[in-house]
Amino acid sequence: MAGKLEILLLDDEPIVGKRLKPALAKIGCNVEVFEDPRQALDRIHQKTFDIVVTDIRMEEIDGLEILEHVIRKSPRTKVVMITGYAMMAVAREAMEKGAFDFISKPFTPDDLRKVIAKAAQALGSPIDSETATPEEPSEPAETR
Amino acid sequence: MPVVTLSSDSHPLCREIAVRTATALGYDCVDREILKAVAERHGVPETDLHKALEESPSPFGISSKNHARYLAYIEEAALAVLLKDNVVCRGLAAHLYVRGISHVLKIRILADPQKLAGEISSGRTPSFEKASALLKRRERFRRRWSLAAYRVDETDPSVYDMVISLTRIDPDEAVKTIVETTGYRKFKPMTYSLKCLKDKALAGRVRVALMDRFPDVTVQADGSSVVVQTKALEREKQKRTEAIKKLAGEFPEVAAVEVQILPDIFRKAAESFR
Repeated sequence: MAGKLEILLLDDEPIVGKRLKPALAKIGCNVEVFEDPRQALDRIHQKTFDIVVTDIRMEEIDGLEILEHVIRKSPRTKVVMITGYAMMAVAREAMEKGAFDFISKPFTPDDLRKVIAKAAQALGSPIDSETATPEEPSEPAETR
Repeated sequence: MPVVTLSSDSHPLCREIAVRTATALGYDCVDREILKAVAERHGVPETDLHKALEESPSPFGISSKNHARYLAYIEEAALAVLLKDNVVCRGLAAHLYVRGISHVLKIRILADPQKLAGEISSGRTPSFEKASALLKRRERFRRRWSLAAYRVDETDPSVYDMVISLTRIDPDEAVKTIVETTGYRKFKPMTYSLKCLKDKALAGRVRVALMDRFPDVTVQADGSSVVVQTKALEREKQKRTEAIKKLAGEFPEVAAVEVQILPDIFRKAAESFR
């Protein structure tokens, strides 16, 4: 894999994408942000992403369905689940269905960058998760 | 790789399966051998730590306060070990306090009742009726112990991810099954489950630090934030809050401490009768 990591970020809360997109761009990722799961699914069918980051609890289509679609379409794509309602059963279900990782909200942009770096490593395209500018705040992102 | 906790109604059998599973997985096997170091660290008799794992508090045995304290010491040490990963843990009641963590595979091994009855009666083979009564009594005792210590019934199969009865499956097969199960994706460690375990370990350490002065404390951690709950009289509130914040704040990982003081209604009632 050459070039930038292609990431799709899906969360129905606009603040999440707004906050995380620049954080991932700083470590050299191309990030497409979606709030509507249907639009995200359309995009997933058009383009193969390296990493998909998706919220779990969303109206109409939940993150686990997104996960299934992604894995079916592109088994090499790493799917990272994020949720404010983390529970063991959901975490296990997500991992069983092929999720690469699972993070509970709130988390810091740095937490997500570390997971993205791990996914990039697994894809054979390592990146440095610590190349963010020092002035970036490290307090929890508004990701509830 | 997931962490494995094993518990059983038979210690020798549990030890055997744990050692064999750890060997097959290339893991460390951790059991009550760590209690020696725990006893030395906290300056308590090792035998009392063993007793706390076996006996309920009673007026003729370990007091409730010491029982809770000893179990907190054991929990703190066991959680530190589990954080290292690649571990099979047995004999430390970890299945009762490491709950809700997806990469911890909790296994219960049930011994053959006839063999177990013989084990309990020091090698003699009791009659069927006697054996059955003996095992029922023992099960009641363990249920009472686990409920008193952790509010969990350790004889309830729903506590575990897998229950293996050695009446029908031989130990080789049991080890093979456990090893295979550790390979399931659903038990893979993830950022969330590792964080939950870290939070539990930090909460356990803070609780131990607070317990000598505030034996009833409960502690929850979420990242670098810690919530401490304790009971106190109204007039003690401020001092107690300050003391807890100071003690908990001494941990470098702790950035924020919230203290929740609940009214101590029994002491309040006792004072009002004076």
